[in-house]
Amino acid sequence: MESTYSQLAWIIPLSPLIAFFILLSIGRQLKQYGGYLAVVASLISFIISVLIFIERTGSDMQNYTWNDWDWLSVDTISLSMGFEINNLNTLMLLIVSFVGLLVNLYSIGYMKDDERVNVYFSYIALFTFSMLGLVIAENIVQLYIFWELVGVCSFLLIGFWYFKPEAKAAAKKAFIVTRIGDVGLFIAILLLFWYMPNHSMSFSAISNAFIQNEIEPGITTLIAILIFVGAMGKSGQFPLHTWLPDAMEGPTPISALIHAATMVAAGVYLVARTFPIFESSATAMTVVAVVGAFTALFAATIGVAQNDIKRVLAYSTVSQLGYMMLALGVGALSAGMFHLFTHAFFKALLFLAAGSVIHAVHKQDMNEMGGLGVKMKITAWTFGIGALALSGIFPFAGFWSKDAILTEALNQNVGYFIVGLTAAFFTAFYMARLFFLVFAGKSRANHDANEPHSEPHESPAVMTIPLIILAVLAIGAGFVFTPFNPWFGEWLTGAAEEHTNWTVIILSNLVGILGIGLGYLMYLRGSIARDVISSRAPGLYRLIHNKYYMDELYQIIIVTPLKGLGFVLRFIDYYVIDGAVRLSASSALYVGRLGARMQNGQLQSYGLASLIGIVLLMIILVGRRFWNVG
Amino acid sequence: MDNILPSYLIMGAILFCIGLYGALSKKSAIVVLISVELMLNASNLNFIAFSKYGPAPSLTGQIFTLFNITIAAAEVAVGVAILIALFKNKGTSNVEEMDSMRY
Amino acid sequence: MLDNLPILSMIIFSPLLGVLILMFIPKEQGRLIKIVGVAAAFLPLILAVMMYANFDHQSEDTLQYTENVEWISVPLNQDGEMLKGLSSYNLQFNYNVGADALSLVLILLTALVSAMAALASLHIKKRWKTYYILFLLLMVGMLGVFSARDLFLFFAFFEVTLVPMFFLVGIWGFKEREGAATKFLIYNGIGSALMIVAFLILVTTAGFTLSQPDPQHLDAIYTSSLDQIMTNLSDPTAYVNVGTEMQAGSGVENPFFLSETMKWFLFILLLIAFGIKLPIFPFHTWMLKVHVEAPPSVVMIHSGILLKMGAYGLIRYGVMLFPEQAKDWGIILAILGAVNIIYGAILAFRQTDFRLVLAYSSISHMGIVLFGIAAFNVIGMEGAIFQMVSHGLISALLFLIVGSLYERTGTMELSELGGLAKSLPFISGILLFAGLASLGLPGLSGFVSEFLSFIGLFDTMPVITVIGTLGIILAAVYVLRAVLRITYGPIAVQYENLKDARLVEVIPMVTLLAFIVLLGVYPSVLSDPLKHTVDQLIQNIAGRVGG
Repeated sequence: MESTYSQLAWIIPLSPLIAFFILLSIGRQLKQYGGYLAVVASLISFIISVLIFIERTGSDMQNYTWNDWDWLSVDTISLSMGFEINNLNTLMLLIVSFVGLLVNLYSIGYMKDDERVNVYFSYIALFTFSMLGLVIAENIVQLYIFWELVGVCSFLLIGFWYFKPEAKAAAKKAFIVTRIGDVGLFIAILLLFWYMPNHSMSFSAISNAFIQNEIEPGITTLIAILIFVGAMGKSGQFPLHTWLPDAMEGPTPISALIHAATMVAAGVYLVARTFPIFESSATAMTVVAVVGAFTALFAATIGVAQNDIKRVLAYSTVSQLGYMMLALGVGALSAGMFHLFTHAFFKALLFLAAGSVIHAVHKQDMNEMGGLGVKMKITAWTFGIGALALSGIFPFAGFWSKDAILTEALNQNVGYFIVGLTAAFFTAFYMARLFFLVFAGKSRANHDANEPHSEPHESPAVMTIPLIILAVLAIGAGFVFTPFNPWFGEWLTGAAEEHTNWTVIILSNLVGILGIGLGYLMYLRGSIARDVISSRAPGLYRLIHNKYYMDELYQIIIVTPLKGLGFVLRFIDYYVIDGAVRLSASSALYVGRLGARMQNGQLQSYGLASLIGIVLLMIILVGRRFWNVG
Repeated sequence: MDNILPSYLIMGAILFCIGLYGALSKKSAIVVLISVELMLNASNLNFIAFSKYGPAPSLTGQIFTLFNITIAAAEVAVGVAILIALFKNKGTSNVEEMDSMRY
Repeated sequence: MLDNLPILSMIIFSPLLGVLILMFIPKEQGRLIKIVGVAAAFLPLILAVMMYANFDHQSEDTLQYTENVEWISVPLNQDGEMLKGLSSYNLQFNYNVGADALSLVLILLTALVSAMAALASLHIKKRWKTYYILFLLLMVGMLGVFSARDLFLFFAFFEVTLVPMFFLVGIWGFKEREGAATKFLIYNGIGSALMIVAFLILVTTAGFTLSQPDPQHLDAIYTSSLDQIMTNLSDPTAYVNVGTEMQAGSGVENPFFLSETMKWFLFILLLIAFGIKLPIFPFHTWMLKVHVEAPPSVVMIHSGILLKMGAYGLIRYGVMLFPEQAKDWGIILAILGAVNIIYGAILAFRQTDFRLVLAYSSISHMGIVLFGIAAFNVIGMEGAIFQMVSHGLISALLFLIVGSLYERTGTMELSELGGLAKSLPFISGILLFAGLASLGLPGLSGFVSEFLSFIGLFDTMPVITVIGTLGIILAAVYVLRAVLRITYGPIAVQYENLKDARLVEVIPMVTLLAFIVLLGVYPSVLSDPLKHTVDQLIQNIAGRVGG
């Protein structure tokens, strides 16, 4: 079949880029129309993505590659830029442009009171451009370029409310922590550059080389792990996860778009894109699986003890990304990508719904909410659907994808399975806790008399419509890849994957229901005291509530030594190096002073000195003749 | 006749050394000036001695001496004038106190 | 049309036209002086763009626009036995300029940055006339340095930059300007002294050239021509290389011979001379003071171009003349580079004055140039040149912003600034952008140079390269710390009513920014012209070193 639409894929990132430039240059004059411009731009991207998707689902399509732009040619090596369309990134295009569209729409309502709204939209447009560019990148250098650009956009958007010190700190942290991962990816690129035949950097060449085992195993493992370090930074895997919860300082739609659905999934996408490298190294695969599994459980437990509605969701994102990594680590590419796909919808939904709540009550602490379900019906319902999907309850989308991962994990290693199942339990529990605390029961808002407080009410349609659309997808999106309908996996990888396992299905539902039930008992019925953990095991509670003291740990082992080193070096720079310079300068001065002291103004002593000089010269001259020296 | 030249030269050297000693060690500016004159005359003596008994005798040395005497006279005039001015300013003719060019 | 014009000389000396006109303008006419000064600073830019357009990128002959005029010829004493047979015996200095792509690129950079700095100099509060005259003289020196093809001409232009710079720092700087100017002069004077020693030795040994235009004549000259010296040094039959005797076994002492030890000595002399300028750790302390005390528009030139003279000299006169020694010391250059990168970055992180942050970041960035040179391959060398250009643009932009900010707030102490994004959204945006460029964000020029330098060095010294990549993280740390401190956070009351950038500030900011983006998005615009030159450069080195 002719690839008519794939050829047009360059329009997909271009359209938000143009929107970005327009918003940047005449944003102030556009006023409220800036939002519509952003929506139109992302709509264009979305439509073309859909067309490509339809085109590619038709039959076995060859990958479409265009890479005629000679970006940089040095020596005999030429790096070109272009794009490649295959099934994997078609899927990503669809997700990114779709969530981007909904978030733009939602933001029109959410951000309408902010005076810098068009700056906001321009950042989103730039982000969408970078993310789409990342997805269709033809080679790994190009991917790295966009990889950093999305990082910057994320930084800009987290720090959008730049006057808040927390936002500033969070933005900085996000950038620096992900940069640590990026350096891993950067070194991986350096390695690839010198070890790939012909220095070819394109993904297709990389795949071929690694599939045919042209690169020695030690280097392969090294490259794979370094790439994974990059993915860890972006996808918030332990131990580089600390920036993601802090990133919640940004506007909530941004958390939905960047820190839930798209950018944080870029790490997963990167591993999937370079999957042949990982597949040729068992060690690397184990590393991926272990880190993924650990992160899934680790973050899920932290989520249990957080009180900020967005932070709970953030830890849940970290945990779910761990699931995806686990899937990739056990070799289940399609299961991992499938979870990425469903997660994008229900997590975006959860964040947008949470945004709707925050929009209504102007608070983020769950302890001050409650009883909102009555006042905000659409939000509550859609949030509930998202929560069920996240908890992995049949038949919501999350169930199918989590089930696929757990099945594959069980096939590989029971340990992974148990960890995944435990994490699923915690997930269900903290989502139930979140839901009941926010929407059920009575309002715990303490009305401040000084503060004019309007009653919370449902958000406008421009915000609820995206919620409803996403809720539909959170229910339905799972059906493309079920044990009975493996279409998605076949389309993505070209090979059918069998993953019907009734034990897993039953067990995963069971732990989900258990978790929800426990949450119900604790936070709605109250038959189990809420502070059962914090009173019985205060140490454990504090440990979890403080996120296992990871930030403090970093402070101690990295930041403080760095500052100390800086202090020492500054000392050395000032006193030793510049000190040596000053010393030589002052010693020159001192010698000069000594000479100056002979200038006593006594003409007679000058005369005496020159007399002595002349006598010496004469002795030398005459002496030469006698002693026959020269 | 032949070896009369060294006598002149030794005489000149002695004069020069006396002048030098005076110029370097005397405190009174007038004495220093006189010592300088002595040194000048020592060189004049040498000029004349060489012009008469030197390896290539010629009148040049004697003419040069005449010039020297003229210039020395002028120099003494200027020098004494400066000394008088200094004395008016500082009230002393002691060279050790004239050290305003000190560092 | 251009073919018959000495365009390179026109570029070098066109600012003098401005000097000439300025001399006749009374110093009270501030406005007119500024107009003439800025206009004269733009002349080389226009000419340089024309030169770039006319430059033949494809030509194998990489050296173009050459001009060679006999300048000083000193007849020498022909008393010696061996010299009787010569028909002439001269010490010969020529005015010899020419541009290969490396020079071309740096001339363009110089012209661009100086033009922008001339615009930024409109802030200057006193003695405009002297300022602009010195500024234009400084331009002549810089442009000359990058075009000279003759050791003494190079040295002369190099010195020409020192004097105006001394006064520009010393008269128009901040509080401790005299100290800064003196330190600048002493350090650079020492560098120049070492350089002239090395050059003198080179001219009297490698510069000795015999030529026989016809059988009756045999001419001998000591030349200071760079190309002739390079040819002689690479010719194994030239006197400079044959050995301690003029002819093997003849027993006649060869005064032109440079032993290995002597070559090492010269190389190290040149390394230190240019290392001071670059600056290489531990010769960096002088430039800290200059960064802080000089007026920002002068620092634009200083950080943007003068530091590049060190890198340029190191490539052209250090590495090209003594490739064996340089290559042997590749690892030391790389280690010095890594030290520069890490040391600069960590110290940048601890500074409290924004200008010092930038000064140390310059040290860090110059480490990347060293990396590129130490790689001794085409990729690394391109990386080094990219870094020179890129850092020139970025640091010029940063100091342009420093000038604008200082004019408004009166301080550069990080602790006293904050939240400026509120009242100065445009300047803050540009500052953030420049900061991102400085930390090597892809899509901007800094990334391309880091990428190329690291790739180049990784081939031979992976471990040092990996240590150097730590600098990428540290760069993010110190840049964001400083930039966010200034622009983000709550705004102090006294800054709430500041006025954002005027047109005369917007133009240079946007221009520099556009070039930074251009180089980042489409690096071929620089790498294509450089291709042949760098290829040839590396081939020359490989030819000399043999591998």
